[in-house]
Amino acid sequence: MTDAIVARGLTKVYEKKITAVDHVDMDIPAGSIFGLLGPNGAGKTTIIKMLTGLSDITEGEARVAGFDVRKDPMSVKSRVGWVAAEVILDDDLSAWENLWLQARLQRLGEWKDRAEELLRYFDLSERKKDKVGGYSTGMRKKLEIALALLHQPEVIFMDEPTIGLDANVRRMLWDLITGVNREFGVTVLLTSHYIEEADRLCDRVSIINQGKFVASGTPTELKSRVKEDFIELDTSETVTAEKLSSIPGVSQVSSEGKTWRLRVASAEEVLPNLFHALKTDGIRRINVEKPSLESVFIDITGTRIDQAGSDVQDFRKFYLNVRRARR
Amino acid sequence: MSAPVKTAVLPTSTTVSRDGYLGWFSQFWGLFARELVKTFRNPWVIAITIIQPFMWLAFFGGMLSELPADQLDQFLLHAPAGTSYLSFLLPGVLSTGMMSIGMFGAMSTIQDKRFGFMKRILITPTSKATVYLSKALGSAMRGLVQIPVMVAAALAFGVRLQGTPIAWVAWILGLTFLGLGFSALFLAVTASSTDWQTPGVISNFLTMPLMFASGAMFPTAIYPTWMQDIAKVNPVGYSALLARDVLTYGQFSASDLQYLGYLAVFALVMLVLGTALASRYLKVE
Repeated sequence: MTDAIVARGLTKVYEKKITAVDHVDMDIPAGSIFGLLGPNGAGKTTIIKMLTGLSDITEGEARVAGFDVRKDPMSVKSRVGWVAAEVILDDDLSAWENLWLQARLQRLGEWKDRAEELLRYFDLSERKKDKVGGYSTGMRKKLEIALALLHQPEVIFMDEPTIGLDANVRRMLWDLITGVNREFGVTVLLTSHYIEEADRLCDRVSIINQGKFVASGTPTELKSRVKEDFIELDTSETVTAEKLSSIPGVSQVSSEGKTWRLRVASAEEVLPNLFHALKTDGIRRINVEKPSLESVFIDITGTRIDQAGSDVQDFRKFYLNVRRARR
Repeated sequence: MSAPVKTAVLPTSTTVSRDGYLGWFSQFWGLFARELVKTFRNPWVIAITIIQPFMWLAFFGGMLSELPADQLDQFLLHAPAGTSYLSFLLPGVLSTGMMSIGMFGAMSTIQDKRFGFMKRILITPTSKATVYLSKALGSAMRGLVQIPVMVAAALAFGVRLQGTPIAWVAWILGLTFLGLGFSALFLAVTASSTDWQTPGVISNFLTMPLMFASGAMFPTAIYPTWMQDIAKVNPVGYSALLARDVLTYGQFSASDLQYLGYLAVFALVMLVLGTALASRYLKVE
C-alpha cells in the first residue's frame, strides 16, 4: 500500500521563537483514517496547515498524494479536501452557489452531476437554493464535507470535525466519515481531542503534545501500552499522598489541584481498600478509567487531554466564529 | 436516540478539470462573481455607495450653487460662463467616489481572512494573485454602480450633460481605471492586515488630501503652488478633468486621451505592484 502522506522532520516555528510543531515524522497509508489526538494548542492544526500548503514549512519535508508540498503546492491542493473546525462557508450564498464557487476554485469543468449526488447523499437537496446562513450546524457541517469531496480528493483533512456538535450530529458525522473513507477510498487525516472519536474512527493514531508526537500506533496497540487502571478522586478531607500510596494495589499517586490520580493494577480490587482507607462520605467524586486512549494520554503526559490545552478559550473562539459566520 | 440509518446512494459521478488559462479564468470568475453577488445582495452597501455621492451633490453642490452668478463665474475661472457649480462638481464627485470604493475591496479581504474564508480559497489551487485581482476588479465594479444613479440625480438637479457616446465610453473607462488603481492600492496596503480598522484609517488618510488636491471640487487654479504640484500627479484630478470635459463642457479632445492614458498607466502600475505585494504578503496565518 502506498503512503498518501509522508512527512520527515516537519517543523513549524512562528516568529523565530515559538515552536508549534517539532520534527514530526508521518507515514499515512492511502485509504486509511489517521488521527492526530492532542489538546488544543498541541500543533494539530499547524500540521494540517503545513501539509495543505496554507502555512510555510520551517524545516523538514512533506509529500501529500505523491507531491512535494514545498515544491508543488498547487498539485497538492488539487488533490486534497478540507473540513474546518469552525465551519467556513459563505453565508450569503446558497449551498448550490457554495458548490459552484468550490468547483470554480478547483477548476472543474464538469461537476454538476456530482454536486447533485453529494447534496442528495447529505440530505441537502431540498434546501440547496437557500442561503446557508439559515442552515443548522449539522447541515453546515454536511455541506462542508460535500465541498471537500466535490473534486474527488485523494486526501481529506478534517480539523476537529465534530467540535461543538451535539451527540446525535456527532454520531451521524462519524458514520459519514467512515462511509467517505470506505466507499470513496479517500485517505482521512483527522484531528481531535475527543478520545472516543479517535478510538472509534481511526486505523492509526498519533498522540501529539506540545508539538511532538509522543506515541503512535493503532488504538489497540496504544491501549495495550497501559495495562493498569486509573482512579481519579476528589476528596473533602485532607488526604496525603503517603496515605493513598499505602493503600494496597496503588502503584502511583499524583495530584492536580484538588484531584488525586491513582494508578492501580486493578480498579475492582483497589476500590474496596480505598473506601476502607478513606471515609466514604469524604469522597466527593470518583472516576475509574480503564485502559483507553485517554489513559494512554494520561500515562504519557501526566494530565487529561481536556485539561492539557486551553479548552475554554478555544470553545469561546469556536462559538464566536459560528455566531460571526451566521451574521 | 441513535442517528438515522443512512440509505442514500454514494456519489459515483466524476468531475473534469480545466487546465491552463481556462482553469485560471475559472477561478478568477468564481471569485469575481462572488464579490458582485455579495455586493448586490447587501442592500446597505448599495444604498451607501449610491447615497454618499448624491449627498455631496445635494449638500456641497447645493450650498455653492447659491453663490451669485458673477462670483461663481469668477470662482470657476476657466469654465465657460454660465457653468453651474453642480455640473462642475458632478464629475469630481464621481471621481472621488471611485477613489474611496477601494476601501470596500480591502474590507472584503479582511472579512474573508477573519472569518476563515480566505483559508477555504487558498486551500484550493488558487493563487494569491488571482484572489487579489478578482477583489480589485470586483471592488472597481462596485464603484461603477454609482454612475447611472449620479447621472439621474444630476439631471434631476437640472444639470445638462454633454458628450458623445464615444466620449462617454472614454469617461467610464477612465473611471474604471481609477477605481481599479485605487482598489489595487488599498488591497496591496492591507494585504497582510486582519484589522477591521485598517482600511478605514487608510481611507481617511488618503481620501481627504487626494480629493482636495485634485480639482475635483474646485478649480486647481485657485490652489497654492504646492497643492497644484500634487494635483499634477493625482489621478483623481485627471479623472475629474476627463469627466468634466466630456459631461460638462462637451469638449472631448486629444488632451483627454492623455488623461485616459495616465489613468490606464496608474491602474496598470498599481495592479502589477499590488499583485507582487499580495503574492508575498497575503497570508491566512
